[in-house]
This record gives sequence, structure tokens and C-alpha cells, in this order.
Amino acid sequence: MSDFDPMEAEVDAWMQQFARIEVRHRPLPDANTLWIKAKLMQSTAAMERASLPITRVQIAAYVVVAGSWAALLTWKWNALSAWFNSFSPARIVLAGAGASASAATSLSLTFFMMLIALASVTVMLAFHTILAEE
Amino acid sequence: MTLQTPFAFTATAFQRTPKRPMDEAKFEAFYRKTAGRLWSYIFRMTGNAATADDLMQKTFFRFLRSNPTIADEDHLRHYVFKTATNLVFDHFREVKRHRELAPDVEPNAPATMEMRHDMMRVFAELKPQERALLWLAHVEGSSHEEIADAIGVKARSVRVMLFRARKRLAGLMTRRGLAPETRHV
Repeated sequence: MSDFDPMEAEVDAWMQQFARIEVRHRPLPDANTLWIKAKLMQSTAAMERASLPITRVQIAAYVVVAGSWAALLTWKWNALSAWFNSFSPARIVLAGAGASASAATSLSLTFFMMLIALASVTVMLAFHTILAEE
Repeated sequence: MTLQTPFAFTATAFQRTPKRPMDEAKFEAFYRKTAGRLWSYIFRMTGNAATADDLMQKTFFRFLRSNPTIADEDHLRHYVFKTATNLVFDHFREVKRHRELAPDVEPNAPATMEMRHDMMRVFAELKPQERALLWLAHVEGSSHEEIADAIGVKARSVRVMLFRARKRLAGLMTRRGLAPETRHV
């Protein structure tokens, strides 16, 4: 029994003719160019993959530093605002006259050390970000 | 004296071909063999030369990213056509207007212009899946299993789908007077 199907044969003939029609009027991209582009894309992707952990650590560092600043300022906000107010001309005059500077004394040396440490970490992080981008 | 085992030749013949990553020269040879056919396929699917250029490049980028080996060229060719089919279907999903895409044929000779245009138009009237089925089966000569793998359906469905696609194309050909026997009268 023959498997000949006239419709299949007709479609096949049509498709063969259709496939023979030349529709490309410009040359295909050069194989070497494609190879180089693909290799460049691969190296870029590899670089992104390699730098992903660093990027994640960097984001975590931003969050930690921002959180530390927020915690520190919230914790000592009253003392800090009093300390800032102590720089007003009226307070300076009062201090000069011998009044006690209670606000300033309420900020401990530990607090200032923490402030300096946090400021240093922030500056370091900022430098790292700038240099990494460059 | 050592005796040769009767299976010595067989064992050597069936030893696995070592898989080496494709180098630039091998890629160039493979590209030269495949790119033209692949471009024609994508162009017939999308009806747009610029899209065909773009999708063909994407196909080869994906192909190279997959670290191809040079063990089996037929397998590589099938992989490339499968990737292109996926990209074409993704493209259709993205633009959501695949039925409106007009064929982008710029014929060289005015005598063949009308026929080319009609053939492109008839083919563009088919659904993307039907186009892929017909092209892979009739032009690329892919097996039902390969077609199933390329378009993401079960192998046993391909026969029925192909029959329907042929019927639809035959209907369009007759309606437009493009059936081979009609055209040559």
C-alpha cells in the first residue's frame, strides 16, 4: 500500500519552491564578528557574575552604615540637639559667664569614638564606591 | 602471540567521540553551512528582514554561550533551529501582532515580484506554529521528534498538527490560485 498523499506532495512542492525564493539582499553578518561579539558578551557576563558577591556585600554595607547612623542619632538625639543648641550665641555667653555646660558633658567619650568610627566607615565606603565605579 | 578479540574493531568504532569545545574556525565553518538556511527560516517565520537579522544573531549568541562541542553537527544544527524557533515565538509574544506583520519582500525582478509577494502573503497567513512545522518538515527535513522538540509539543502530536497545517496551506493555495498545478496552467 502506497503512502502517497497528493496534498502532502502538493504542499511539499509549494514549500520547495517557496524556500528557493531568494529573499536576502544583503550579506549575512561576518562569522568572526559574531564570534568576537559573543566572546565579549560572555566575558561581560562572567565579570558580572564574579562581581555579584562584591555588589551584594556593598549593598549590605550601605544598609548597615545607614542603620548605624539612624540608631546612633536616635539613641542620643536629645543630648545631641542640646549639644548643638549649646553653640548658640546666648549659650556661649552664658558658658563664658561660668554656667555649667550640662549638655556637652552628657555626651560621653564613647559616643564621640563611635561617631568618629562610623564617619570613617562612611568615608571609606564612599571612596570604595567611587573607585569601583571608575 | 596475542589473540585479537572479535569485538576489537567494534569497540574502537563505537568509542565515544571526544567532545572538544568549538573553536573560531569550526564555528566559522558551521556558521557558513547553517546561517543562510537559518536566516531564511526566521525570515519566512517573521516576514521581516531586520527581525530575521536580529534573531539570527541572538540565536548564534545563545549557541556560543552554550559552549557547543563539535561532536555531532546534526545535533548542533537542530539545537540552532530549536533556539531560533523559541526566539521567534518569544518575538511574536512580545509584539502581540504577528498576524499583521507584512512580508518584507524586495524582489529583484518585476516578473517574479507578484508570485513572491503572494507566496509570502499566503505563508504569513498561517499561524506561527504552522509555519514552523511546515518549514522544518518540508524544507529542513526534520523528523517528527526534532520538530516536537523545537516547537515544544509531544512527538505524537506532530503528525496531526502537520496534517492540519498542510490542509490549511493547501486551502490557502487553492483560494489564492497558487497551487502548483494552477500556477503553471
